[in-house]
Amino acid sequence: MNRIASFVKYIIMIILAIVSIIPIFWMISGASRPYEELFKYSNSFNIHLFVPVHPTLQNFKDVIFNERNPFLTYIGNTLFVASIVTLLVLLINAMSAFAFAKLHFRGKGVVFALFMSAMIIPGEVTLVPNYLLMHNFGWLDSYKALIIPSMLSVFGIFLLRQFFAEVPDEILEAAKIDGASMPRTFLRIVLPAAVPPMITLGLMTFLGNWDSYLWPLIVINDDKKQMIQVAIAAFSSAEGTDWSKILAASTISTVPILVIFLFLQRYYIQGITMSGVKG
Amino acid sequence: MASTTTAGKPAANTLPKKRRNSFLKGEEMTAWWFVLPSFALLLIFVFYPMLQAFIISFQNYNLVGGTRSFVGLDNYRTLMTDQSFLASLRHSFYFAVIVIPIQTSISLGMALLIQKKVATTGLFRTIYFIPVVVSTAVAATVFKLIYNKEYGLLNNFLELVHLPTTNFLSNPDTAMNGVIMLGMWKAVGFFMIIFLAGLNNIPQDLYEASKVDGASKIQQFFRITLPLLNRTTAFVVIITTIDAIKISGLVFVLTNGGPNGATETAVFYIYQMAFKQMQMGYGTAAAFILFAIVLVISLVQMRLFRNQDY
Repeated sequence: MNRIASFVKYIIMIILAIVSIIPIFWMISGASRPYEELFKYSNSFNIHLFVPVHPTLQNFKDVIFNERNPFLTYIGNTLFVASIVTLLVLLINAMSAFAFAKLHFRGKGVVFALFMSAMIIPGEVTLVPNYLLMHNFGWLDSYKALIIPSMLSVFGIFLLRQFFAEVPDEILEAAKIDGASMPRTFLRIVLPAAVPPMITLGLMTFLGNWDSYLWPLIVINDDKKQMIQVAIAAFSSAEGTDWSKILAASTISTVPILVIFLFLQRYYIQGITMSGVKG
Repeated sequence: MASTTTAGKPAANTLPKKRRNSFLKGEEMTAWWFVLPSFALLLIFVFYPMLQAFIISFQNYNLVGGTRSFVGLDNYRTLMTDQSFLASLRHSFYFAVIVIPIQTSISLGMALLIQKKVATTGLFRTIYFIPVVVSTAVAATVFKLIYNKEYGLLNNFLELVHLPTTNFLSNPDTAMNGVIMLGMWKAVGFFMIIFLAGLNNIPQDLYEASKVDGASKIQQFFRITLPLLNRTTAFVVIITTIDAIKISGLVFVLTNGGPNGATETAVFYIYQMAFKQMQMGYGTAAAFILFAIVLVISLVQMRLFRNQDY
């Protein structure tokens, strides 16, 4: 009886696993086969539905060296914006998380409560005013509009504060007696002690920016400056039925991210756990 | 998330007053410098826009003509009878009502399946989580092809098991189901992780004790696991509800609101109003109504879950 139960359990687990990765797998295999082959095997269930008969890198080349749709430009743009945002998010939010965790100042409780109350303000409501703000600053079509409003992470402050709180006060006192200034103590002692949550926050921020769609769609009009997700969506309507190219573009933008994730998944999952279950 | 935060305690005045002033001056200044950058961002990009949103929602504000005029509650009144806005709310709610129970059950089931610490569970956990990392635009693009009637993977499979093929996305009655399947495919892994963390917090000896008392697995699940997971389930249900009602990204890429506006969700409608028709005031008022609805639902859910806290 128990054997049957565990067998059934494994079957279910495997079916769920197949459902989870088949679309990705199909995307990658479709991207690496010639266009005429893509649908040739689509009405049968043989191995070639998933395994290319004549594997080729032509689609990737076409996508990368496409004159009308300079795909590498979009990836470069997005890498640039996402990296800068990630670095600034880490620095700025770690600073205030440290102040909330370890420093004394009047009004600390009130200011912290203000930060936390921002968690319930939805982006949809502030979308229009933020757009108008960009309009008035003259930041439309510039990366300032993508970078500067994204530098605040209330979740990040909340996450890092819990870690900084665990740094013993004695260490800070000792640094002070040795004559180290507060910024120096922060950079040399506090930050190195919080590497894991910094990786967590960095990864979440980077992936979030890589994934962002609506905000760039609204504030960036110049095609050459566009972010990858908007480019992919536009690409799939512009190219119409050239599915193998569309799959190649999707693959190029997904696989690097998946690889990063596989290496750092422990940190990413920790971040999710921290946000949810600390009840 | 809101339930997990406790505001920092005000600084304890451990030192005598006179010394404290001279000693804290420097530290207070430093602390403020540390908080200043993020506080400035908070004021400029969160609180000020929130205030602005409130004001704009009472205005007729067209960005094209640059006209702004105060119209009182007109936007809200018009919205209440605006058929396409009400339809978009209905679509969002349909999405939420279907997704909340199914997605929550599946993610809890997955968490239970891979809860035991065996060699393979780590691998399965990673595989189940991959759809979460795939970006919305890519997932929607690939699913567009999977749903395709002639050569999509899905119909292929349906043919294989002799079920009728469908053309999900071009039929207004079924298009939303296509969005729902994609939405769940992308999100179950995320909530599975949260359930896993919740399951790991349940003391193992409870199960052992009940086993000695002769409880079956099913009894254990309903008497121990579910009650002790109450807080986690509450969190998952509330977050799922908020995300579901605010669904937009998938719709943009997968169906662009079509066919016949059948998949226009509330946030999609707000975007159309504000950034396609440039009716900033009207769009913002719609966003406020949506926000109010989400807030009320979340509060009711919190209440319901609290009443059955053990």
